[in-house]
Amino acid sequence: MADQIELSTPPFDGISQVRFSPTSPTNLLVASWDTTVRLYDVETNEQKTKFDHRAAILACAFADGERAFSGGLDTSVRELEFNTEKINNLGQHSDTISSMNWSKDFSSLITGSWDRTVRFWDPRAANAQQSSASLPERIYHMDLVNHTLVIAMASRLFHIYDIRNMNTPTQSRESSLKFLTRALACMTDGQGYATASVEGRIAVEYFDPSPEAQEKKYAFKCHRQTIDDVDHVWPVNSLAFHPVYNTFASAGSDGTVSIWDHKLKKRLRQYPKYHSAVPSIAFNCDGTKLAVGVSYAWDEGEEGAKAAERPSVYIRNAGDEVKPKGWTGN
Amino acid sequence: MQHQKAKHFKCNLCPRRLNTAGGLAVHIQQVHKLEPENLPRIENALPGRDGYEVEIFGMEGIPAPDVADYKRRKEIELGLNPGTISAPPNKRPKVENRPLSEEELRAQLDAHKALMGASEGAPPAAEQSSAAVYGAPPQAYTSPPVPAVSTPVMSPPGVPSVVPPGAPLAFAPPYPVPPFPSPGMMSLIPPGASPPPGFPVHPPGVPPFPPPPGMLPPGAPMPPFPGMRPPFPPPPFMPPGVPPPSSFTPQPSAVTPPAHPTFVPASAIPPPPLSPSIIPGAVGSVPLSSTLMATLTTSSTPAPQLKLPDPNFEQTYAPFKKPTVLKWSDPNFSPEEHRAIHSKYHTPKETTNQQTTGQAQEAELRGKKRARAEDFL
Repeated sequence: MADQIELSTPPFDGISQVRFSPTSPTNLLVASWDTTVRLYDVETNEQKTKFDHRAAILACAFADGERAFSGGLDTSVRELEFNTEKINNLGQHSDTISSMNWSKDFSSLITGSWDRTVRFWDPRAANAQQSSASLPERIYHMDLVNHTLVIAMASRLFHIYDIRNMNTPTQSRESSLKFLTRALACMTDGQGYATASVEGRIAVEYFDPSPEAQEKKYAFKCHRQTIDDVDHVWPVNSLAFHPVYNTFASAGSDGTVSIWDHKLKKRLRQYPKYHSAVPSIAFNCDGTKLAVGVSYAWDEGEEGAKAAERPSVYIRNAGDEVKPKGWTGN
Repeated sequence: MQHQKAKHFKCNLCPRRLNTAGGLAVHIQQVHKLEPENLPRIENALPGRDGYEVEIFGMEGIPAPDVADYKRRKEIELGLNPGTISAPPNKRPKVENRPLSEEELRAQLDAHKALMGASEGAPPAAEQSSAAVYGAPPQAYTSPPVPAVSTPVMSPPGVPSVVPPGAPLAFAPPYPVPPFPSPGMMSLIPPGASPPPGFPVHPPGVPPFPPPPGMLPPGAPMPPFPGMRPPFPPPPFMPPGVPPPSSFTPQPSAVTPPAHPTFVPASAIPPPPLSPSIIPGAVGSVPLSSTLMATLTTSSTPAPQLKLPDPNFEQTYAPFKKPTVLKWSDPNFSPEEHRAIHSKYHTPKETTNQQTTGQAQEAELRGKKRARAEDFL
C-alpha cells in the first residue's frame, strides 16, 4: 500500500483546516479560503458533500458523524448537516471566527474570534448562543481536552479555562515562545499542550502549575534551514497529537511534516517535503491516518499567491513512525 | 451503458459491441490485428474524447473535470444557481473594492433612500434575520440556560434605555449634524458608507422615536451636537439584579452625561477585558473614537487596515543574533489577518460600524433604530 494518497478533488484555494470525524476514521472535513467546507471519504477518495459559504472559512469542527460547524470571515456560526446538506445559521460573532471546538460532554460548540470573545453555542436551543466570555486579545487558536480549554491569542497570550466555569481563566500565561503564536494542540492524555510560533519553534507545556511540573516544560527549534550561513525560519502552522500514542506531528510553511516524541524529546520522523506550505494537519480518530493540507499560507502576501501551486490534500498512512520507541501499550 | 455500447463502442469491422473504450481497443488489435497507432476513432464521440485513453464504464471513471463540467451545464439548463450541484465555477459574487465616484455614491444613496421608504411596510428578509440575531442575546443573557457560565450581560430590558440616539454615528464630525429633533438623522451616515442591510424596525419595547426633549428618560443624553464629545454609552454589562448605581438615578438635567466610570463598580463587576474599547475615559477614549472613526472611514475607503484592538499589547521582536530570514515577520498580525483584508477575500461585516463587542453592536444598533425612526418623523 502506498504510504499516502492525494485527494482527487481538493479545494480551489488555500486550505485553512483539515479535521477528521470523531466517529469515523475515514471522514475528513476540509475548510478552505475558497469559501467551501468539503466532506471526504478518504478510503474511497470521494468528495461526499460540499457546503458553499459567502466568505472564506477558517475553522470547522465535527459534532458527530452527521453534523459539523463552520465559521470564517463572514462572522457567522453555521451548522452543516451532512445528510440533508442543509446549513443552519446559529448566530454571529462581530469579527472573523478563527477557531472552533465541539465539546462532546456538554454538547456545545465553542467558537473563538478576532472580536476577542469566546462563545458557547447549543445548536438545538432556540437561542443558540448560550454564553460569551471576553478575552484581552484576538483569539487565534483553541484546543479542548476533557474540560480544559486552552486559548491562544495574539500578543502571545494564553488563557486556560475549565469550561465548567468560564468566568475566570484557571491560568493565564504568556507564551514561552518569543514570537507570534501560530499553532496549538492539547496532549491526548490531558497533561498539557504544545504550541508553536512563526519562528520555527515548538514549546511543550504542562497544565499542572506545580514547580516540578512546570520545570518539565521546554522548547525546541524546527522547520528551519540554513542556506549560505543564513537561517531561514518558517512558521509552524499546525500541530496534532496522536490519539493513541500521544506523540505529535508538526507542520510548517517549509512544506515539511515531522513526528515528535515529546517525552523523549526526539524527532521520530520527518516526511518528505510537500510542494507548498502545510497550513493544517490532523490525525483520524484511531490514529491510522494523517491528513495533510498543502497550500500557500500567505507568508509572502499577495505576491506569493500569484506563484502558488494548486492546493492538495494528502492522506498519509501513519505507520510505526508515530509510535514512541518501545511502546508497550500505554 | 446500453447507450455507450450501442453508440460508441461498436467495432467497425464486425458486429461486436464492447463495454468500454479500452475493451474496444483490445478487441480491434487482437481480433482484427490492427496496429494500435491506426485504431479507428470512436464513433459519435465528443470532440477531444474520441481516443481510447479514458476508461469509462457506465457512469464510473468519468474524469472529474468532465463531471464538473457536465454538472455545470446541467445547472445552467435547469436555471439553478451555479454551485448547487457541482464544483463551484464562481465562488461568490465579485465584490468591487475600488473607491466609488461621487455619482455612484449619490445613486446608491438615492436607491437606498427609495428602498428605505418603500420597505416600511414589509421589512426585507435580511432585516428580519439580523433582528433575529441581535434580538437573541439579551434573552439568552437575562436567563442564561447554562448557569455555570455567567457572562458579561447587557443592560436588561428593565433598565432605562440610555442609549444615546444615533450616538455611534455622531462621532463623525465632518458630517453635518442637523439640529437635533429634526428628521433626517439619516444624513449622519457618511456618504459612501453603504447603509446596513435594512435598518431593523424599532425593537419591541423601545419607543419608535425619541420622546421630546422634556420627556427624555432620566439619564439619557440628548442627541449629540457637532463637536460634542462622545456621549457616555450605557453601562453595557450590568448584570440583572444589580441595582442601578447611584449616578444613574434620575437627574434634572438630562443633558449631562453621567460622569466617568463611577457607575461601573469595577470592584463588583470585573470588567471584561474588552470593555476598554467601549468605556471612554477608563482605558480607552482613544480606542473608542479611533476605532469608530476607522470603521466609519473604512466603509468608504477601499483598503481595510489592520488595527490593534489594544495597543498596550503591541509586540516587537528583538533583533536576531545570527543572520536570519524570518518568513513571517509581523509580530502583531497573523498571515490570516493579512489575507482576510486582501481584496480577494475581504468581506464587509454585517453592520457598517462593526465593533469589537456584541454589546457595542447592540447599542449601536439601537442608535440606528432611533435614527431610522426619526427618518419618518
